[in-house]
Parts: sequence; C-alpha cells; structure tokens
Amino acid sequence: MSDAARENVDIVAPAAKRRQFFLNGGHILLGLGGVMLAIVILTALFAPLIAPYDASATSPESLAPPSAAHWLGTDSIGRDVLSRMIVGGRTTLLITFSAVFLALVAGLILGLLSGYLGGLVDEIIMRALDIVFAFPVFLLALTVVAAIGPTIPNLILTIAIVYTPAMARVVRAPVLSVKQWDHVEAARSVGMSETRIVLRHVLPMVASPILVNTSLTLAQTIFTITALSFLGLGPPPPDPNWGGMVSESRQFMELAPMTVVGPAAAIVFATLTFIVLANGLRETLDVGN
Amino acid sequence: MKRVILTRLAWTLGILLGVSFVAFVLMRALPGDFAIAATGAQSVAPEVLEGIRRQLGLDRPLIEQYVIWLGKALTGDFGVSFVTRQPVAGTVFDRFIVTFQLALIAAIMSIVMGSITGLASARLRGATDWIVRMVNGVMLAVPNYIVATLIVLLVGLYFPQFAILGYTPFLSDPVGNIAGLLLPALALSLAVSVTVSENIRAAVLEVANQDFVMVARAKGLRRGAVLRDYLIRNALTPVVTATGLKVAALLGGSILVETIFAIPGMGQYLYESINSRDYPVIQAIILLTAAIVVLVNMLVDIAYARIDARVRL
Repeated sequence: MSDAARENVDIVAPAAKRRQFFLNGGHILLGLGGVMLAIVILTALFAPLIAPYDASATSPESLAPPSAAHWLGTDSIGRDVLSRMIVGGRTTLLITFSAVFLALVAGLILGLLSGYLGGLVDEIIMRALDIVFAFPVFLLALTVVAAIGPTIPNLILTIAIVYTPAMARVVRAPVLSVKQWDHVEAARSVGMSETRIVLRHVLPMVASPILVNTSLTLAQTIFTITALSFLGLGPPPPDPNWGGMVSESRQFMELAPMTVVGPAAAIVFATLTFIVLANGLRETLDVGN
Repeated sequence: MKRVILTRLAWTLGILLGVSFVAFVLMRALPGDFAIAATGAQSVAPEVLEGIRRQLGLDRPLIEQYVIWLGKALTGDFGVSFVTRQPVAGTVFDRFIVTFQLALIAAIMSIVMGSITGLASARLRGATDWIVRMVNGVMLAVPNYIVATLIVLLVGLYFPQFAILGYTPFLSDPVGNIAGLLLPALALSLAVSVTVSENIRAAVLEVANQDFVMVARAKGLRRGAVLRDYLIRNALTPVVTATGLKVAALLGGSILVETIFAIPGMGQYLYESINSRDYPVIQAIILLTAAIVVLVNMLVDIAYARIDARVRL
C-alpha cells in the first residue's frame, strides 16, 4: 500500500525527479565523470607504483609540514600522508565496488521477481524490504558491523544489505509497466520462457534507471564506508583507508591540517565522481522522462 | 480521508512490529554471550551465569523472549543499562531531547537555505542558476562528518578563543544552548538543504509554466504576489515532503556529528553503547529511531493525500 502511495507521489511530482541535479549537457558531465573515474580507478590500481613512499613505513619526522619530500607532510608516526592517501583508496574502493555489486545483484533478483511476478511474491518481498527501509542506513550499518565485527568481508556484506532495498525498488518500479508492453506479450505468445523474457525483453528496458541509481549508490557507499572507518569500525589496520586516516589524524589536525584535509579531499573527489557520473547518465539516458 | 488515514495507520503498525522484531533479533544474534555482557565482567562463574540467564529470561524460546520484551517496551520499560544500571528509558529520553533539538535546528536551517537558493535558482536563472546547481552538486559530495571535522579544524586554527565542543542545557542557558547547536546543525543540514533546494527549484519551474500562473500575470498581479500566492504555495508541498523524508538522514547523521562535537545526544549514546556492548540501550535507540522514521513517513504520506486529491493510498 505504501508503494502505491509512493508511485502516486511520483506521478504528482515528476518534475522534481526530472530536474533534480545540477548542470545540463549530459555528455559533458558524462565525459567529466569518465575522466574522474579513470583517475580514481587507475590511482587505486597502480597505487604502489605511484605512491612515493611505502604507506606503512614510519619515520622519525612526525607531523612534518608539507615539503618537497613529503608533499602533504607526514602523520603522527611519520608516515607519508600522500602515499597513504593514494594507497588508502584501494581498500575503500574495493569495499565500495564489491558491496554495490552485491547490492545490485540482490536488488535485480528481488526487484525483477517482485515486479514481474507481482501478486503475493511482490507483497512479501516489498513488505520485508519496507521493514529494512525503516532503519536509517547509517544506523543499521553501524549496528550490524559492530555486531559481526569490522572485517573487510563483513563490511562488504553489511553495506550490500543496507543498500539492497533501495536498489530493489528502483528495479521494480519500471518493471511494473514494462511487463505490460506489447513486445513482452509478443515474446510470450511465441512461447518464450519466462526467464528468457525477463532477461531479454524486460531487463534491457529498465537498465537506464538502474545504471543511474547504481552510480548514486556508489557515492552513498563511499560515505557509509568512510564514516564507519571514521568511527573506528572500518577495515582493520595496518592498511590505510580514507575514513580511518581522517579519524586517526583528527586529534593532531591543528598541528598538521593536511593529515585530515588530504584524505577528506580524496573522499570528496571519489564521491563527486559518482555524482557527476550519475547526473551525466541521467541526462544522456533521459531517465525520468 | 478517514479511510486513508486508517489504512495507513494499520500498515504503519505492521511495519513497526517488523522493525521491533529486527531490533530484538539483531541484538540476540550478536557473537559473545548476552549474559556475560549483562554482568559487565570478563569471566563469570557458570552457576552465576545460569542465574543471570534465568533472571533475564534467556533460557526461554526466542519468540517468547521477544513477546515479553515487546510487552515491556510498549509500557516504556526497556530494561536496565548494563553499564550504568539505570533504567534505559529515562536516559534515552534525555538524550533524545538533545538530538531532537539538533535535528530540528538542522531541519529549519536546511529549509531556509534550500528555499533561498532554490528560489533564486528558479527565478533568476542564468548564472545564478548555474552557480547554485554547481555548489549543490559539490555539497552533496561532502559527507557531514567531514564538514563537521573541518568546522572544528577551522575554528581551532583561526578562532581558538571560541569553545565549540560540548553542550549547554536549554534550561540553564537557552541562548547558549541554541548558539552551541548552530555549528553542528550546519554540518548536518548542508546535504539536506541540497535536496530542498533542488526540489523547490524543480517545483517552481514546473508551476511557472502552468496556465493559471499565466492568467495571474495576465490579469496584472504584481510579481511579488504571483511569487507568493501562486509559485511558493504550490512549491511548498514537495519541500515539506523532501524534508520529511530526510528525517532518516538527519537521525543517522546525528551519530557522527554528535560524536565530533561532543554533544550528549542519542546518536553519541548509541555509539558509546556499541563500544561498551550495552545491548538494552542499543535496542531501545534502534527501535525509537526506526519508529520515528516510520511515523514521519506516515505523516508525510497522509499530508500528501490531504493536499493533493489525486493521491490514493
């Protein structure tokens, strides 16, 4: 019932959805997002080659200010901030991409089942997801991670779980209308199997909103994973990660601001990448019209 | 209308029941023994542990435990904190008031900031529109805990004479109380204000193209009157909705912002309780937060149905 309400709300205010984000010119945004994404991914992939120092190597010069040798200075136990920032992206992005991939797969399965089959299956899946939806994402992630322990697989699993309901809803909504279209009826009348219809004739038609939402979820996931690390519930040391770096350096930040500003800038850049990409996709794929 | 409210209410109760079950099971599924955590000690004699288990009802079937727990929770009895040995309900309520204050100030700030930027964007168009949307896009990418950390950093570097951490109770110093919450609320409100701003911009642009606005302008109403009585009035609905639906983000974000600014609110208490494995407190806070989110969503849906006759619940 609440979904019916939400869909009606969408009908009432389609404009709010259509023009929600900044800038027009989808191709420019998409290009910009692509370049930013390439920077983020290549930096993470080749981090050990790019980083000027070993990210875990300590040195006696602690909290050194930025200099030619250490562009962003050093942290409280003399590790090079820039190197840690470059290497720190690996853990953060590994968790982000894996978690969103799992949420996407789970969301696709649940959303397609729910939307295509309808009826009782739809009711049960949607009502169960409504319950998970009632918890603020960050609160749920924090509690679950605290409960099962902050290891990398646990973090991936937890974040995947908290973002699955939203993903399933985004998949389900367009499926409800696409399944009534003529080409689906035609496929059924020539005796195509239901699985094949869903995969070949429904899924491609609903791909655009899913793609946009996946990009936005990536941005939100970077927030959640770095915020968890910030509270000390991130991936375990000694490998650096962005949220953990902000948290470790916070008590020294007035002495060496770059120890906090550096990783914070990395978090903002990565998040912005996926927001720009999502807006570019939305404009070029004409989602919401 | 009455039927709409009743069905929505029944539905909300169902969700709340599910939510309470999740909150309960989540705490029972924790590794480590609930009974050991209850004693607060590292190792406990087996006989003592058995006694505690019986006392807390842990020897009964899970469903029975849940029903007993829910029954007590409904009467406001959330048990006793493992750490302070005080009743959970009282402490959580005190903490909730602080978080409520913070969230309220943050909501007001985001509505004010969002409305001004959104209206400016929609009415002035051109460069203003471009700048507002650009800034909105970037603000969306800056997490609230980073805003909060940077605020603390900047004040510490440039205005070390101001003490911005901590909390002043409202009753002892009302002005100091609100002044002290302004910076944390700002950190919390930036991302929400983007949602408000984008929604109000879209709504004003949408309404501005409608025939009745053209008629109003054609019959010679002043620009101010058209803006106030036609555009803003119609744009209010999505704004209220967007802000209402952001209550989860405000409550979730308060965990981080309260921890950074040392504000003794519910979010900070949850974080402390997670660290000290104070399960009854965690349970109570999760349940309360989810209940607030569910209830606010219900009110938003009902408000929407009341305002817009096309909506059927």
